[in-house]
Formats: sequence, structure tokens, C-alpha cells
Amino acid sequence: MSEPTPTSAPEERRLHPSALVIFSADALRNAAFPLIVIVGATLFGGSLDTGALLRAAIYGGVGLAIAVTVGVVRYQSTRYYIGPEAIHYVTGALSKKVTDVRLDRIQAIDVHQGPLQRAFGVFSVDIQTGAGKKGGEISLPALTPAAVEELRAARPQATAPSPVDAPAGPAQRVARRDLLIAAVTAGQLGIILPVLAGAGQIVQQLFEERRGEDAVRALPHSAPAIVLIAGGLVVLAWLLSTVGALVTFGGFTVTRDDGRLKIRRGFVSRVEATVPVSRVRAVRVVEGILRRPFGLASLTIEVTGYADEAAAARTLFPIVRVRDVEGFLSRFLPELADDPRGLTPPPPRAARRYLLLPVVAGAAVTGGAWFVVGAFAPLALVVGVAYGHARWRAAAWRLADGRLAVRSMRLARTTVLAPARFRESHTLVQNVLQRRADLADLEVAFGKQTTARIRHLEAADARAAWSAL
Amino acid sequence: MSAPSRHLSPVARRVWRLTQLLSWGALTVVGVLVFVMGGGGPWFLIPLVLGVAATIAIPKLRWARWRWDINDEGIDIQHGTLAITRTLVPWVRVQHVDTRRGLFEQAFGLSTVVVHTAAGSHTIPLLPAQEADELRTRIAGLARTEEEEDAALERADADVGA
Repeated sequence: MSEPTPTSAPEERRLHPSALVIFSADALRNAAFPLIVIVGATLFGGSLDTGALLRAAIYGGVGLAIAVTVGVVRYQSTRYYIGPEAIHYVTGALSKKVTDVRLDRIQAIDVHQGPLQRAFGVFSVDIQTGAGKKGGEISLPALTPAAVEELRAARPQATAPSPVDAPAGPAQRVARRDLLIAAVTAGQLGIILPVLAGAGQIVQQLFEERRGEDAVRALPHSAPAIVLIAGGLVVLAWLLSTVGALVTFGGFTVTRDDGRLKIRRGFVSRVEATVPVSRVRAVRVVEGILRRPFGLASLTIEVTGYADEAAAARTLFPIVRVRDVEGFLSRFLPELADDPRGLTPPPPRAARRYLLLPVVAGAAVTGGAWFVVGAFAPLALVVGVAYGHARWRAAAWRLADGRLAVRSMRLARTTVLAPARFRESHTLVQNVLQRRADLADLEVAFGKQTTARIRHLEAADARAAWSAL
Repeated sequence: MSAPSRHLSPVARRVWRLTQLLSWGALTVVGVLVFVMGGGGPWFLIPLVLGVAATIAIPKLRWARWRWDINDEGIDIQHGTLAITRTLVPWVRVQHVDTRRGLFEQAFGLSTVVVHTAAGSHTIPLLPAQEADELRTRIAGLARTEEEEDAALERADADVGA
């Protein structure tokens, strides 16, 4: 590589002055708890008189002053340079920390806007390299839009900025109606778990009560109470998940720009992630239990090096009709576009193998619960049979034109779509029983979060797929 | 798809025999202790018999099944006793490779090769230490990036064209 020309000494860059406020707020937040304790103890420790109020005010003032000082010092001591080959970043007053990130090693520049950043019209930027450290190797909490563009342009992979009047590739923003549907149907485990836990608690209490008190009196008292409490829990959990989804996915926008996907989302704190398409290994079509009846799904992506990052970088779109998935993907990710429908199930003789385990588990629960809840116990067996049958119906796959599609179900029905050559490894498993029935499992790993797994395929098909992959 | 051809070190059988002996032995000792303290029948005979059977049968079977090889596509690994697992890790996905040596491996002059991909790691255990070191170097040399792979393919195409 050629030596950098000495004439173009990299110019020093500073953060936007609003960083002062942001750093101070950070320091204040970190110190908030001890500060509240101190001020609170001063106020309520003794009698509440003017002296205590004054002291509390002084402590609070000192805390604020320290926070502001920290903000000033951090702002003053943080600077960066964009050299011809690397970004050079210096921070820290007492202990200096110098970070050099080579431009060609930058994997992504993540842009994010919290409430403070939004108030000042600046952006918080995380520069990510392959090391996959959480939060980015360099964090710049306040940059002007121009500075962000400059950083982006500095990357050698960066393409020339497209002329303003040219359309910047396809973009899709989640419609308000779809967002509402997505939010209302967001709940999954979030709804079921508290209800199950609550129901368990109530049943337990009911039986303790019955033993202690008169059973006849306990029953009419508790039956409406159970329904009421369970109903209340369901509604509460559902409301929480709805609000959570609204906040998370509000304003969700995905843009395809040459080799990159830009994903923007969030009502309160706006998050923008840039994902290089070359690092997308697989698409997951997730049909949650509340969405499946309506033919709806969310799309998530497996991105290498993003395993530790927030789900922000993993959701491709919060709500899509399953029949529109292929169309959506061919607009935004043609490299991975495929249809999640029209897959082939495993051979019919595999059905009882899918049923076996859930049925055995259900039977065991029924046997155990018989002495506790009596006639309600066989419900577990019914659930086991239904679940096993649902898993069998969900299992399907296709390997055509080098594209692999594998569908499976735990709670949500998930279809993994990916070009087969994107796999990290692939595995064929055959146990003793499967050997006799001439069946085998196929597992194709695409990343830390995504392994396409289909059980009980025709052994010959599985072997052929394994060899072809 | 015939099984890959290379085996682990023959000494591996001895290591597995030892680990089987230790775990079943511990169970048997606990069973004997319970029996001596006056609890129930001679239940400790179950882990004793199972242990003897496992110590004889499992290492042999496991060693016969444990195969690996490296070929044009990547690292080919087959293992398992009840369920046989066959995995291929393509060269372009190998991120890095290391060797590690546990207590038993140090005692027997063996070593484990661990191949890391973005989706997790795969191991080839209980190889003779020197062979493991050579294999590690060889895998590191054969691992290549996707761009290199594409370039190699283009070169191959060009050669065919010329």
C-alpha cells in the first residue's frame, strides 16, 4: 500500500458542541441513583426545615456541577481525524485512549438519534468493524449530518453520492394501519408466559385455600376471580406488547441503496442502522401465533458480525403479507429473494415421528397432573397431540436453483430463506431409529441465530442435498 | 457419499475408556456408599454393569465412527454413536482455527483442533499433538475469503478460455 502523502495532513474534527450537553446528561444519568439517595436522605433524614432544603440543594448543585465538568472535559478531549487510510480517534483527559480504525476494515456506520440528539439536530454514530464489539469500536455521540456524510464518504467501499434528483433506490415506510396491525399482533411469548404463570399461581392458591377453608365456599368465590385475573393479565400483557411494538417499530423505514440496506425505526429514540448487503446471510419469515391466522409475518435478517447488536439491525420489516414476501424481497434484497410458500413436506411416514415427542410429553404431564386437577389433566395430552401435529404440518423445505427454503415451528412458524452457498456449515444427522426407517435430518447453519433445520426427510433426499450444498 | 477416510489417534479409545470408567465409577461408588449406609437393595449393580458394558463397547464404536478429512470443498467431519452426524465446513467460512489440549490430552500427547465459523465452532478432538499442529497450519492456509474464491474461479475460467 502506498504511503500517505504528507501534504494532506488529516484535519482535526471535533464533535458538535451539543456533545457537551449529551456527555453531561450521560454523567448525570450514571450518577443519578447515588445523587437521589443523597438528596433524599438529606431531605427526609431529619426534620424538613430550610436548613435541610438548603443542604439538599447544595448537594444537588454539586452533583450537577460535576456532571457538567465531566461533559466539558469529555467534549474538550474527544477529537478524531479522517486520514487517507484510517480514522484516528482520541479521547480521555486523564488516561488518553487512542483508537485507529482502518477505513477498509469498517463494516458499518450505525447512526442513531436519541431524544437529546434530536433536540439538537445531531446524530450519534457508532463505527463498527468485524471485531463485533458491542456498540462499535468508535462512538461519536454528536455529529452534524454533514459530518456523518463525510464519515460515510471516507470509506473506500463508499460509492459516489448519488445526485440529489436521482431516486435513491427503493424505500418503504410502514403504513400507519400496518403498524397498528403489527403492534396489536406483536405478542407471543409475552402474552402466554405471564398468563401461564398467573394461572399456575391461581390454581395453587385455590387448592391451598380449599384445603384450609370450606371447599364449597372457596369455589364460587374463586371461579369468577380466576377468569377476571387471567383476563386482566392477558389484556395487560397484550397492551404492554402493543405499546412496546409501537415504540420500537414506529416510523419503520427500509431503504435499499446500492450495496446497503438502511433501516430506520423508533418513535422515542430514533435508530438508524446501515447493513451491507454482502453481510446478510439469510432472511427469516416469522409468522407469530397471532399473525399466522391473518397470513401476516415479520421479516428478520441474519447478518454476520451483528450477533450482539440490538434487534434494530435484525428486523428487515415488521409486517408483511406472506404472499407478498417474495415481491418485497425482490425489491430490497433480490440476492436472497424466494417464495416462502409452495414447499415440500417430509414423507408421510415421518408424521408419527413429529408427533411422538410432544405426545409423550403431554402424556407424562397428564399422568402427573391427574392427582392434582383430575379431569382437566387429559387437556395436556390434547395440547401435546395438537402441538406435534402443528409442527408436522409446518415442516417443509425446498432446494431449487441454489436457493434453500426451510420452514419449521416452535411457537412461531419460521421460514429461513437463503442461497445455499451462504451457509456456514451443513450437517446430516441420522439416528438409529431413522436408519431403520431410512430417514435423516438436515441442518444448515447460516449464522449464530439462524440454523435451518428440517427433521425426518427421505434419507436419499437429505443425502443428495448434503452433497449438493 | 462415502464416509471420510481419516481416523482420530488410536490412543483416543484409551482416553474415552478412561472417561467412561471415571463417570460410571463415580456413580457406582455413590451407589455402594448408599447401600453400605443401609439404603435399599444393591442398586449400585446397575451402574456397575452398565459401566462395564459402556467402557467396553462405546469407545470402540465411537472410534470406528469418528472420521474426518479435508478436501477441495472444506473440512468433512463424521461422528456419533447412536445418531451419526456428518458436517461439512466450507473453506470460505473458516474464520480462524486453533488447537487446545485438555488434561487427558496432555497426558496422552494428544490435541484438539477447533475450527471457528461465524455460526459457531467445530472440533476434531484427540489427534496426535504433532498431527494436530500440522492440521491447524494447513487449515489456516486453506481458509480463504470469498473474494479470493471468486478470483480463483475467474482465473480457472480464464485458463479454460485460453
